[in-house]
Amino acid sequence: MTPVNPIIEARQTAIAAGKGAYLADDSRREIRICAGTACHASGRVALKKAVDAALAERGLAKKVAVIETGCHGFCEQGPIMVLRPQGIFYPRVQPKDVAEIVDTSVVGDGIVERLLYKDPATGRPVAAEREIPFYALQTRIVLGLNGKIDPFSLDDYLAHGGYTALTKVLAERDPSGVIDQVERSGLRGRGGAGFPTGRKWRTSRANPGDVHYIICNADEGDPGAFMDRSVLEGNPHSVIEGMIIAAYAIGADNGPVAGYVYVRHEYPFAVERLRAALDQARERGLLGTNILGSGFDFDIRINQGAGAFVCGESTALTASIEGLRGMPRGKHIRTAAHGLWGQPTNLNNVESYANVPWIINHGAEAFTAVGTDTSKGTKIFSLTGKVVNGGLIEVPMGTTLRKVIFDIGGGMLPGRSFKAVQLGGPSGGCLPSSLLDEPIDFESLLAAGSMMGSGGMVVVDDSTCMVDFAKFFLKFTAEESCGKCVPCRVGSTRMLEILERISAGEATVDDIDLLAELADDVAEGSLCALGGSAPNPVLSTLRYFKDEVMAHVLEHRCPAGVCRPLIRYTIDEKACTGCRACVSACPSAAITGERKQPHILDQALCIKCDACRQACRYDAVRVESGALAPAGRRRK
Amino acid sequence: MADSNGNGNGKRPRTAVQAGGVEAALRGSALYEVLKGIDFERRQLVGKSPGVGLLDLTEKPGGGYNCYACTLCERVCPVDAIELEYCPEFPEQPFDAEAARAAALAAGPGESCGAASACVMGEKPAFVQVPVDMRLLDPVIAGIRSGSGLIEAMHATQEAYGYLPRVALEAIADEMHLDFSRVYGVASFYSQFRLKPVGKYVIDVCMGTACHVAGAPLVLEAFSQELEIPVGDTTADGLFTLQTVNCVGACALAPVVRLGSDETFGRMGPSEARRLVRRLRKQEQEATR
Ligand SMILES: Cc1cc2nc3c(=O)[nH]c(=O)nc-3n(C[C@H](O)[C@H](O)[C@H](O)COP(=O)(O)O)c2cc1C
Repeated sequence: MTPVNPIIEARQTAIAAGKGAYLADDSRREIRICAGTACHASGRVALKKAVDAALAERGLAKKVAVIETGCHGFCEQGPIMVLRPQGIFYPRVQPKDVAEIVDTSVVGDGIVERLLYKDPATGRPVAAEREIPFYALQTRIVLGLNGKIDPFSLDDYLAHGGYTALTKVLAERDPSGVIDQVERSGLRGRGGAGFPTGRKWRTSRANPGDVHYIICNADEGDPGAFMDRSVLEGNPHSVIEGMIIAAYAIGADNGPVAGYVYVRHEYPFAVERLRAALDQARERGLLGTNILGSGFDFDIRINQGAGAFVCGESTALTASIEGLRGMPRGKHIRTAAHGLWGQPTNLNNVESYANVPWIINHGAEAFTAVGTDTSKGTKIFSLTGKVVNGGLIEVPMGTTLRKVIFDIGGGMLPGRSFKAVQLGGPSGGCLPSSLLDEPIDFESLLAAGSMMGSGGMVVVDDSTCMVDFAKFFLKFTAEESCGKCVPCRVGSTRMLEILERISAGEATVDDIDLLAELADDVAEGSLCALGGSAPNPVLSTLRYFKDEVMAHVLEHRCPAGVCRPLIRYTIDEKACTGCRACVSACPSAAITGERKQPHILDQALCIKCDACRQACRYDAVRVESGALAPAGRRRK
Repeated sequence: MADSNGNGNGKRPRTAVQAGGVEAALRGSALYEVLKGIDFERRQLVGKSPGVGLLDLTEKPGGGYNCYACTLCERVCPVDAIELEYCPEFPEQPFDAEAARAAALAAGPGESCGAASACVMGEKPAFVQVPVDMRLLDPVIAGIRSGSGLIEAMHATQEAYGYLPRVALEAIADEMHLDFSRVYGVASFYSQFRLKPVGKYVIDVCMGTACHVAGAPLVLEAFSQELEIPVGDTTADGLFTLQTVNCVGACALAPVVRLGSDETFGRMGPSEARRLVRRLRKQEQEATR
């Protein structure tokens, strides 16, 4: 065996024996508060204060550990608090309830039933985190430790088996053997295209250069996706470990290697935690020169983006690190050969790297046992939109959309029906309910006209207009187009103009043909995949929701009641109680009426801002379009 | 230039300022024949269109142009993309910059384009530049010396000033031995970099997918109406800046609005947006009293 850092070894056995895996019967009391971005926004700071105060009052401040973890995934229920060792899950915890929880479940062994999560299917409260359907139906390989460990503590990661994969790799001293193993596992890139990771590493290794660069793509620009952020926030060391292993495999016997993480500037917590994790890793000899006494040198720098979606594209990303405008170049020269500073470069997504330690620890065969023929392992999705349980979901590849949206996600909001699910962000497409039983893997999604993308999954119901939705994505790509090539820059804008005409009821049937034709040209002619995939949301809408599009064109009607030029607000006299809530909400003084008398809405003054409908508690404000019956819109 | 609409057919004239001079350059060539069907007059230029199309002059409400022919644009353009020439289409009106300038001065004393550093109008600019404390830049320069990249340096500068002052960018360009146009080009490419000072309260409305389907456009519009500024602007009292952000990743709370760097509001609607602005305004009034 190679000499492996004795500190690590000793620590690992000691802590592992004491603490063990998740929910192991250890007697230490612990309060875990989710410190992910969503829980932060729902008030985890106040919650932590209340918990600290409650513990101090009872003289428990030293005895009960309070750990701020990464994202638990069940963002809808934030701020989330989990108590150990029982594993009791308290959702949406208010500071005023903390004292009761501490008395009952920390000092005592009881459960505050009224504060528990209630299974919407049965209405019954569920106490244990692992029994909540949202968690019980997932398979968490990458997110396994998210929400369980303290992201600021390297020891916590070590205690849960962290860096064992690295020690194993360093001990075996067989860099190309590592690549073999990753290749056998069938791991494919989680950043969008699904390129086999092992093959990418091999190519990069085979290309000569002064330095080999190992880059982690944490740009995560898809609006509505937050998987990578959550991994970085919750378990940054897993990504670092994966990167070190990749660096070792590609460069240990192949000249110098250097690493970069390119992370969005919009993710301050992720940057902070990653930075702390890198410092700790350096301190313990896991990064820097002579890693764990193996003679292998490698270090990682953080590079922050500055709000350009296109910088997720590999060549734009390297340009951005070099301090240039993030403009992609043609891919006839591969990044693997000429990437950052002209050197061979390996670029992988956060989730791709985070899978690597698991594969090394459990073996390629264990990984291939999960998933489908062509797509192995699991995939994390950020499930958002009009579902009951929004949050982070990790499932085996091949799981059906229905299972994810209805069983784990809890289905649609009350009174609403499923309309479409959008996968792959601005490069993906919308799938209708007839495709709900499709398995989620790279090939099936592509065949259906969507794509895996990085894992954003946005569910929309009958209150969303598909034309408006397609317009949203196209507007995004048109704005984010870097401007370098004409098909993307001009083409996306012209397509957007057509969509705007459709949603204004001004389009003709010819416009629809022109739109489809333009879509093909943009996809064909663009320099990078940004333009190449920009037409997908439009094409999938034309493919699956043509009726809705044609209603705009032929009948000047927006069935969902969203497209502003085609709708009007009215007040249903029978339902109106005359409470004046809408009168005071209206910013343009378009609504008048006496108390207890039905109110009157003046169409000439109405700016269609929706404030009245949101203020009305009696469903008396209606949105009408065309001659059709009132349609609801954008229920909050 | 006020009445340079010489062709008299009510069509907008070609402007004197022409980026790249596409049509003129092409005229007579074979390519021109191929391209002549293309609408060169198309008013709406697609953003980020390098070298293709026309720079257009804005008109005064009562007729005529806002342009004083000060030629400032030509001289301050960081990448030398603008060349002033008289428009070949209007030979009867050769471009006489001196005469135009004199006419402009006579017509509208007190009006200025506001560019402090290079103004040729010979009058005090209405917009006084905020003084920039260059000492705040020292750590940034030190960072560059210890190996930080351009974008990293810009982030640090924005952290120090709240935006990227031109003088700071010039200093960075000097330090890194880069053309100013190159530095400026990077600053203008990335949406997170601001080239103007921001207000005390920066309101970021999330425009992610989940927020969009939950009604973020209505929230954004309510902010814009209540503050009476377009998106991207700062109120005249310097209190509020209204911006959008692509996705903050708190999708479960959509629509999300971020105030400054650490306050986040979830499940917003147009009424909540207006209330938030009113509350902050009131708070400010009370504080100043
Ligand atoms: C416009 C555009 C944006 C992209 N954004 C991301 C991103 O945010 N994160 C990411 O991991 N990959 C993104 N990609 C894909 C990357 O180019 C690249 O394929 C990926 O990072 C490779 O890693 P993987 O093999 O591990 O998937 C984007 C691609 C394009 C064309």
